[in-house]
Amino acid sequence: MAGSKVKQDMPPPGGYDSFDFKRNLPKRGLSGYSMFGIGIGIMMFGYWRLFKWNRERRRLQIEDMEARIALMPLLQAEEDRRVLRMMRENLEEEAVLMKDVPGWKVGESVFHTDRWIAPTSVELYNLRPREELLHKQYGFLWYV
Amino acid sequence: MLLMLITYLVNPLMLMVPVLLAVAFLTLLERKVLGYMQLRKGPNIVGPYGLLQPIADGVKLFIKEPVRPSTSSPILFLLAPMLALTLALTLWAPLPLPHPMIDLNLGIMFILALSSLAVYSILGSGWASNSKYALIGALRAVAQTISYEVSLGLILLGTIIFTGGFTLLTFNTAQEAIWLILPAWPLAAMWFTSTLAETNRAPFDLTEGESELVSGFNVEYAGGPFALFFLAEYANILFMNTLSTILFLGASYIPLLPELTTINLMIKAALLSVIFLWVRASYPRFRYDQLMHLIWKNYLPLTLALIIWHLAMPMALGGIPPQH
Amino acid sequence: MSTVEVPSLQELSVDEIKVSSAVLKAAAHHYGSQCDKPNKEFMLCRWEEKDPRKCIDEGRKVNECALNFFRQIKGNCAESFTEYWTCLDYSNLLELRRCRQQQQAFDNCVLDKLGWERPDLGELSKVTKVSTSRPLPENPYHSRPRPEPNPVIEDKLEPSKHGSKLFFWNW
Repeated sequence: MAGSKVKQDMPPPGGYDSFDFKRNLPKRGLSGYSMFGIGIGIMMFGYWRLFKWNRERRRLQIEDMEARIALMPLLQAEEDRRVLRMMRENLEEEAVLMKDVPGWKVGESVFHTDRWIAPTSVELYNLRPREELLHKQYGFLWYV
Repeated sequence: MLLMLITYLVNPLMLMVPVLLAVAFLTLLERKVLGYMQLRKGPNIVGPYGLLQPIADGVKLFIKEPVRPSTSSPILFLLAPMLALTLALTLWAPLPLPHPMIDLNLGIMFILALSSLAVYSILGSGWASNSKYALIGALRAVAQTISYEVSLGLILLGTIIFTGGFTLLTFNTAQEAIWLILPAWPLAAMWFTSTLAETNRAPFDLTEGESELVSGFNVEYAGGPFALFFLAEYANILFMNTLSTILFLGASYIPLLPELTTINLMIKAALLSVIFLWVRASYPRFRYDQLMHLIWKNYLPLTLALIIWHLAMPMALGGIPPQH
Repeated sequence: MSTVEVPSLQELSVDEIKVSSAVLKAAAHHYGSQCDKPNKEFMLCRWEEKDPRKCIDEGRKVNECALNFFRQIKGNCAESFTEYWTCLDYSNLLELRRCRQQQQAFDNCVLDKLGWERPDLGELSKVTKVSTSRPLPENPYHSRPRPEPNPVIEDKLEPSKHGSKLFFWNW
């Protein structure tokens, strides 16, 4: 076996040439720091615009609320009259409805007090068509 | 009577039919976009450019025999897909497009509540199928969905601080000066990835991972019930994108051309949907632990910190919005 | 038990102002500054009396003033006013900011013909004092007289016979 013709496959004498195995990514685009800076800058610009507009929105809200403040007495007076009118009508209707019941006192207060107690909408609309009550309760709901 | 008919039947249908149509064509768009990104054509046989493909798909799915596994819990098995689609369609009701169908002042709360309910349809279907794969798939999907809901909720809070209300309509007024994506782009980026995860889309679609879970919670479904799940999923995708548009991509109302409000809004939403598809074509799937780490170890602390920041800074600089 | 007293319909009949919300909102700021006196009077009455039945006269004055106010607008600036409130009506939520041009026209007209000036921002929400001849109502809530404070215990106070009932928590 000695002196075999088989030649062992070996690296060349002195080893292979060195080759470039390091990961080589081209550097392109902005650096991380500058992208970070641009991002923060965009945020700052955004905050500035947004806050300016939010302040303006608060002013607009004050204007809206003042419109409501100005109108409130008018609307309140109207509402008061409407409620009282409905109560009066209900009392008259009650007198007609309950005239056959002995010992019935028309408009007897259910409360043990003389103070004003705002009637509930059910109480006000009881003698009216159901649609009116539903409209009163769910008709115009606006949350702003 | 006629009025009742209009309010309770015609009005919802006017919203639901376009949404379902949009969903149908979103599936076509998805296959087309994915096709072209992979240098093939996508569906192009049925109708011109394959435009009738979704209709053919729908007809095929609904005339197919719905499989009802004999060991399943039959009622829940059929109820779950119905619940999924119902919830997905109800979610659209408070969206201002530009006028919401039901005008809620706490619209965002409503949306959060309903989207949390969607979890039950997944859980129900997975359990009722009486199959290991479906159950495990459902559990994983549910864990993912509720985890990402946390960050969705927190990001919503951050935007609400900027706009001053839970009403979706206030987002329109608040963004008249500037789109919220600019001052809050970190939130927006996290929001977008969270919506990807919330709707179980690629790269977070590991609940439907094909090799290991054979498409997740809906393995046992076929035909009509499967179609309902499918519709619900895509309706949710479109919904999330519309919501992202409302939240971050500016006021859709143009004072000069108020007629274009809806078109403006939906174009932005459609672009976001295309980004969804692009992401699906480009990114490899997450591993489950990576998914959970992303939300609990990255997004949760970041959103919490950003909320504090977004609350403190406007207070300090007098930039808080009007509080209704 | 007492009966609820409600004024008769005659006492309640007033010329109501039958205009829509857009008209009211369009006129609100000028109205607030022009009818300041009766408005404040009415609100003070409502606040002090806690009873709408006692403020009917004040309410009537509020309405009179408002009616007069709208008549003056109609007589002098009907056109610009109509333009203004129509604009408001067309903007979605009666937003004042959408109609600044029409508002300016209306303001100018009102200033020229009636000498009314739009109140500055914050003027209408100021806290004001109102001088009134109406006496301050006594006991508007009709409360019962307060009971006497607990009488002083005259007997000698002794510790309880069997010790504290809080023995369980013996800290």
